[in-house]
Amino acid sequence: MLRLPAAAVAAAWGRGGGRGQTSVCAHDEDVLTLSAEAAGRALAAAGLEAGAIDGLWWGTSRPPFAEGPSHAILAAAIGLEPNSGGALLAGSPHAGMEALLAATDAIAAGSARTAIVVAADAVRPGIGTGFEARSGAGAAAYVLTASDAGANATAEDGALIGARVTRTHPYLDRYRGDGEVATRDIYDARLFREEIFLPPVLEIGEHLAALEPRVWSLPDPDGRLGGIAATKLGARGAVASDVVSQAVGDTGAAAALLGAIAGLDAAGTVAVVATGGGRTTGITLVADAAVPGAATLHHLLAQGAETSYPEVLRSRTELVPVGESVPMGVPPESAMFVRGATEMLSLLAGRCTECGTLNTTPSIHPMCLSCGGTKFDVVPLARRGVVHTFVVNRTMPAPFVAPLGIAVIDLDDGARIMLQVVGDGSDLEIDKPVELVLRRYAHERGVPVYGLKARRLPDPPEDPDTSDPTTRPKTPRPTTQEQ
Amino acid sequence: MAWNKVAVVGAALIKFGELFEQSYEHMAAGAFQAACGAVDKGFDPAQVEAAFVATQRGTLWGQEGIAGNTVPSAIGLAGIPCTRIENACPSGSDAFRVGAMAVASGVHDVVLVIGVEKMRDKSTEEGLLSRAAGGHPIFTRGETAPVLFAPFATRHMHEFGTTREMLASVAVKNHYNGARDPYAHFRNEITIDDVIKSPPVCTPLHLLDCCPQTDGAAATILVSAERAAEFTDNPVFVAGFGVATDHPYLHEKSTFTSLTATVAAAERAYTMAGIGPSDIDCAEVHDCFTITEILDIEDLGFVEKGKGGVASLDGETSLTGRIPVNTSGGLLAKGHPIGATGVAQITECWWQLRGEAGERQVTTKNGFALQHNVGGRGSGVSVVNILTTNR
Repeated sequence: MLRLPAAAVAAAWGRGGGRGQTSVCAHDEDVLTLSAEAAGRALAAAGLEAGAIDGLWWGTSRPPFAEGPSHAILAAAIGLEPNSGGALLAGSPHAGMEALLAATDAIAAGSARTAIVVAADAVRPGIGTGFEARSGAGAAAYVLTASDAGANATAEDGALIGARVTRTHPYLDRYRGDGEVATRDIYDARLFREEIFLPPVLEIGEHLAALEPRVWSLPDPDGRLGGIAATKLGARGAVASDVVSQAVGDTGAAAALLGAIAGLDAAGTVAVVATGGGRTTGITLVADAAVPGAATLHHLLAQGAETSYPEVLRSRTELVPVGESVPMGVPPESAMFVRGATEMLSLLAGRCTECGTLNTTPSIHPMCLSCGGTKFDVVPLARRGVVHTFVVNRTMPAPFVAPLGIAVIDLDDGARIMLQVVGDGSDLEIDKPVELVLRRYAHERGVPVYGLKARRLPDPPEDPDTSDPTTRPKTPRPTTQEQ
Repeated sequence: MAWNKVAVVGAALIKFGELFEQSYEHMAAGAFQAACGAVDKGFDPAQVEAAFVATQRGTLWGQEGIAGNTVPSAIGLAGIPCTRIENACPSGSDAFRVGAMAVASGVHDVVLVIGVEKMRDKSTEEGLLSRAAGGHPIFTRGETAPVLFAPFATRHMHEFGTTREMLASVAVKNHYNGARDPYAHFRNEITIDDVIKSPPVCTPLHLLDCCPQTDGAAATILVSAERAAEFTDNPVFVAGFGVATDHPYLHEKSTFTSLTATVAAAERAYTMAGIGPSDIDCAEVHDCFTITEILDIEDLGFVEKGKGGVASLDGETSLTGRIPVNTSGGLLAKGHPIGATGVAQITECWWQLRGEAGERQVTTKNGFALQHNVGGRGSGVSVVNILTTNR
């Protein structure tokens, strides 16, 4: 992800000043890629394989398809089984909290034992609007299990969802009309503050304050209202989510659960308030100890290269070159994608039962590359490897963005693969380690096309998320997030 | 292997370049007429029994995809059997091989092999660059032509210490030769500094490491050796040929310091000709990029693996070097109209073996010249043809 200084936005519109920064998507990122990355980190922190997850509950105001297979694509990218369940909750910044509650209810009802909750957003403001410098992007993922999950479960394993309380009011706050691309800013700041935002946030907050939380995750849509709510709730100095909103801005449907992670790195109760779309909900997360994964938040918040306003506009396709762009060889609705969608999202290979060669991918290798065998076990490929060779392509037609790094990678399981790389390719070196992450390769005819790209890892690689093999899940298990 | 000996009695090309004023049909007719005119004792076009046309893309996916029936009409031979040969960048050299086999088999005595390609009727963006969006939506996305070869340069530099100066020396040498070839697209000499300072295209390759987009056509006339004397007293014979394939995707490559299809194709051609690399007097090899020629001269056995860069910088492949390579200017300076390229390379070999290469003429003490192409997605196919003056 990239970081956009508020001062850069202000300067573009001829204004001075501008405090802070927001987190924004690179041109090949969107809500789905952020979600996939957060989910992968949460599973690693929980020490779980994707196959152990019964369902994905995903909350975002901006699923990549207004109507289409958003949930199915994310489930496949995370590696969930085809019989996994869950739901996509959308329509407002409240959707992230709705996903957490829906997953909790599913576990309580016994229809799922283990769930993954992803709250994600990439708020897209109207160009030139006042909240453009506050609109952020991020994703938080939590792994939830039933609280009776096995004799191994201990109080140190996670946090429990305690209280929950909701208020609804049929008022307009930020919204996006049917067919509109950008989210509309608040109509009247004073009206919003006095009648729409503060009353339900304070009412819910007072309920939670009675439970004496250690820290808070509070909504902060404009960089000021969060502080005002904290003061009125007597929570000043205990708003754990401030560190998140200062680093990444208002992340819409991701904000409440992302901010809560900042409070889950120690024992105690975190009071979490989410608001938007006329609904406000408060919950408590009660942790007896630091929740696995939460401690990585600060490291992740410090990442992200600074970007420019024109680059952000280009990433949002609001700054596009004139002329036609080159269409994909086959349309995303075509048979090739039917044959190849799952194997590309999950990065599957056919392992020859005769000679063991990994053939990538199964749909383009009916016979083994090495021995001509015709029987294969379909297996997922390793997600880490080293660069064997690479190029940086600097001569690209639209819609490509140059410079574009492309690397041949020797994966840890012995397979070789060639993929685009994240970034501009300037960090590529032979024999250096990379990891594979989901990115958006194209956006064509309204269809986002996703695939894995290689991203340079620090040398030597470090992986705090998986360093503790003894972790076991409990209820709920908030983990990682923003990246 | 019993096959009837085949002679090349005519070969020619039109001046390569950005031929905006000429249609595909005009280029074909120009090359055909020139090839007929190159036959020492004269040639009546009506003697052509069959033709093989090499066109790789046809105005980059235009009408000439059906060149097998458009070219005979364009060259005044409507009615003859004619087939389009497409085999990626070696299309022209493979059409020559297929034409030679048609004569070697005894089915035909007189065969025309003609290569024609219109590269510049479409803009670069809509033409060659658009391949970045074609093919597999993930594995090949962003894969413009230089991406197929630049990874080999990166790895060759890493493993063998090949430098950008060594790469550049290939372009400098081929432009020097091209400046002496009246048919070349580019006829200017350049320096190593020019290459290194040219704009980056696909790191580590820069603009002058890359061949241009060129329109062009070339033609050869093949006859059975028994009848060669009807056409010339100075025939050149087909000594051998080889074709080989490799996996197309780069992630399926076992090595990035060798194009294995070239190694296998060369081995087959040398075996068929009964010779080895040291018997070759001069060679026209596939230098779509500077790194490609360095790989070629190693894979064809002219220099030790890993020494291609040093050999180039040291002048071993220059006009006066140990093994002159791409005396015509190669793809880098003469140009690369894909279907025509192999046939034009054959023409240069034919001139060299007949002593007709003018100021580019090299010594041909053994009487063998080698022609080579490699291409396709990920250099998945290579063709080698060997010509000789030995009877």
